[in-house]
Amino acid sequence: MQTGKASWLRLRTPVLWLALLAAMGTLSLYASPYTVIMVTNILMYVILTVSWVLFSAPTGYISLATAAFFGVGIYTSATLGGQLPLPLIILTAGVASFVLAALVGALTLRLKGVYFAFFTFGLVELIKHLLLWYEVSVTGVRGRFVVSADNVTIYYIILGILVILLLTSYLIRRSRVGLALQAIGEGEDAAAHTGINVSAVKTFVFALSAVFAGAAGAAMATRWGYVDPYIAFDYLFSFTAVAMAVFGGLGRFEGPILGAVVFAFLRELLITRFPYVYMLVMGSVLVVTILYLPQGLVQLAQKSTWRRLRGHREPA
Amino acid sequence: MKAKRLTRREFLGVTAATGAGLALAGCKPSVPATEAPAATQAAPTKAAAPTAAPPTKDKIVVGMSRPLTGALVAIGDSAFGPISKAFVEEVNAAGGIEVAEYGKKLPIETIIYDDTSDVGTMTRLTEKLILEDKVDFLWPACGTSFIYAQAPLAEKYGYLLITAEGGASTIREMLPSMPHVFVTLSFSDWYQLPVFAELVAKAGAKTAFVTYIADLHGIEYSGSAGIEFPKNGIDIVGLRSLPPDMTDFSEVIRAAQATNPDVFCLFGYPGQIMPTVGTCMGLGFNPKAWLGGPGVNFGFFHTAFGPAVEGIMGFDGYSPKQSPALKELADKLYTGKPEDIQDWWGHPFYWAGLQIWKQAIEKAGSLDQEAIRNIVATEHFETVLGDTWFDKGLLAKECHMAEIGQWQNGVFEVVGPVEHATAEVVYPKPDWPTG
Repeated sequence: MQTGKASWLRLRTPVLWLALLAAMGTLSLYASPYTVIMVTNILMYVILTVSWVLFSAPTGYISLATAAFFGVGIYTSATLGGQLPLPLIILTAGVASFVLAALVGALTLRLKGVYFAFFTFGLVELIKHLLLWYEVSVTGVRGRFVVSADNVTIYYIILGILVILLLTSYLIRRSRVGLALQAIGEGEDAAAHTGINVSAVKTFVFALSAVFAGAAGAAMATRWGYVDPYIAFDYLFSFTAVAMAVFGGLGRFEGPILGAVVFAFLRELLITRFPYVYMLVMGSVLVVTILYLPQGLVQLAQKSTWRRLRGHREPA
Repeated sequence: MKAKRLTRREFLGVTAATGAGLALAGCKPSVPATEAPAATQAAPTKAAAPTAAPPTKDKIVVGMSRPLTGALVAIGDSAFGPISKAFVEEVNAAGGIEVAEYGKKLPIETIIYDDTSDVGTMTRLTEKLILEDKVDFLWPACGTSFIYAQAPLAEKYGYLLITAEGGASTIREMLPSMPHVFVTLSFSDWYQLPVFAELVAKAGAKTAFVTYIADLHGIEYSGSAGIEFPKNGIDIVGLRSLPPDMTDFSEVIRAAQATNPDVFCLFGYPGQIMPTVGTCMGLGFNPKAWLGGPGVNFGFFHTAFGPAVEGIMGFDGYSPKQSPALKELADKLYTGKPEDIQDWWGHPFYWAGLQIWKQAIEKAGSLDQEAIRNIVATEHFETVLGDTWFDKGLLAKECHMAEIGQWQNGVFEVVGPVEHATAEVVYPKPDWPTG
């Protein structure tokens, strides 16, 4: 009985993921054209959130640089669009974001806590203004048109990026690097003393997580049509990624994914159905979630949560 | 202990429920307007889409992606927002738009989505309006960069798009490749700065100091000034770009003051214009001509500075003194409302754009985008601006009732072009009021 249940449990997760992947992989065959566009957008947020979690959740370093990497991707697409095939542009964007994150990481991952958060936030502004200065005084253009691509193509590209990201994230969690990250999060000095090359691990994973944000930016820019430094380097993307991750729950692998999906879908619903109360409802939902589900939405999947909400106390 | 915990939980629960209830109650009035079309419209259009001639139709559904939250709210709510609302109210009060194909008047119903002042969201919602809601018409998003992003989409899906807030010389180059897009608002070299340069040159201006915000708008206008000023014999003695988030303008004003120019220009937004006026007053910098915008053209500029606005020039679209139709428009839009909401630049352009849209539908006798587009592109219309037409996708400059305005005795008078002027330009401008 026990073993039978256990083997089913072990199989259940991969089967569910595969079923989900099959459903997502054939979406364009049965969903309406707009559903594909909407899901693309939701998946974009999942990518930003999961890529943020990849580095920030285990280490406890709150990065607000997501928007910077995303923006680098957007501008890669805007400058190279039409000159290179789309997959190459996306690859270039990923590499560019990796290089930027590696440089920034090597320079700044000595900063801890709130200092690191501030620096990464500043990075978004810094790049935005450098780019603005460059565009105004060197190229003389402020905004750029992005060569558009087919909506279904973009959907599958985004889905592809997400699948690679999830696999990467899963494998990292189970690898030595993942363990090292965990150790760094729990006590950086202790981790260093056990022989972990703390700086190298942090920089590498930080840069790796940036690849996905950059690639997603390059793909999404083709849907936007027109970008300028303000549009591309919008720090809201940084905060949204953090909010979605916390909303979903950092404790479990599925948490950030669930958070991003629910958050993005709720936002979509509100700005179209109840545009005049969008901010009000969004804020209320976040407050209620933090109050009642401090571990995020995934907490709903735990039986004890329901009991506690009804007033039962958990056995300690 | 246990009872206490429960009380707190209950308190929070009740508070949250009340809050949610209030939120729902608060959005009730907007629900019929936004939700109803999606529900009622879906059936007829979906059924009708495959066949060319839909048999019945009882309304014209217009979709908009507008900034209801975010950085652009202030512009959207004072520019095209009130115009579209007043226009829909007026048309529906008269029973709607006569469409021959259906043999009756169809009222306008609007679907408005919040793009949160984000271009990516705007493009997605525009595609939602087109693909999912299958709106009959698209009305414009807010802002020049938003037009740049929305126009290719309208073109892709074959939707007519008559724009509102925004316009730039670079869009003129794109218009030949986008036959469904029509730009209503006047802009830098269409035909504001040529008129301004000629106006102040004739009055005797020889030198100008130009400042501009480092963005699309500022680059566009400073570039145009760089062409028009020398053409009219005005030397540009200083050119300064301002970072968009700059708040202290004293250094720039001192630099301008040092060159003692006849003309001072600030191509920026209210966020730059308002503090700069204060700085000029504080430092006693009073050039013979002071041009700034957008910002000077709004009622709130006058309410903020009172007598200090005298002689300041800005971009202009009309004056109620110019024709009975324009007076009627101003009365309709501003009577009984605070002066702050007045916009003497864009409003008549947006209104005329909607009038052209309505007349083109009536002339076409159907809701067919192509037929209506062809009429908009080629015919003349009688609008609030008089005889109005599009010239290669831009509202013809002959239809502009004004380019440059100047505050005189608390009224934003049209001073250029001279043939439309309601008052003669005051040059040099009077001193800043003392005390």
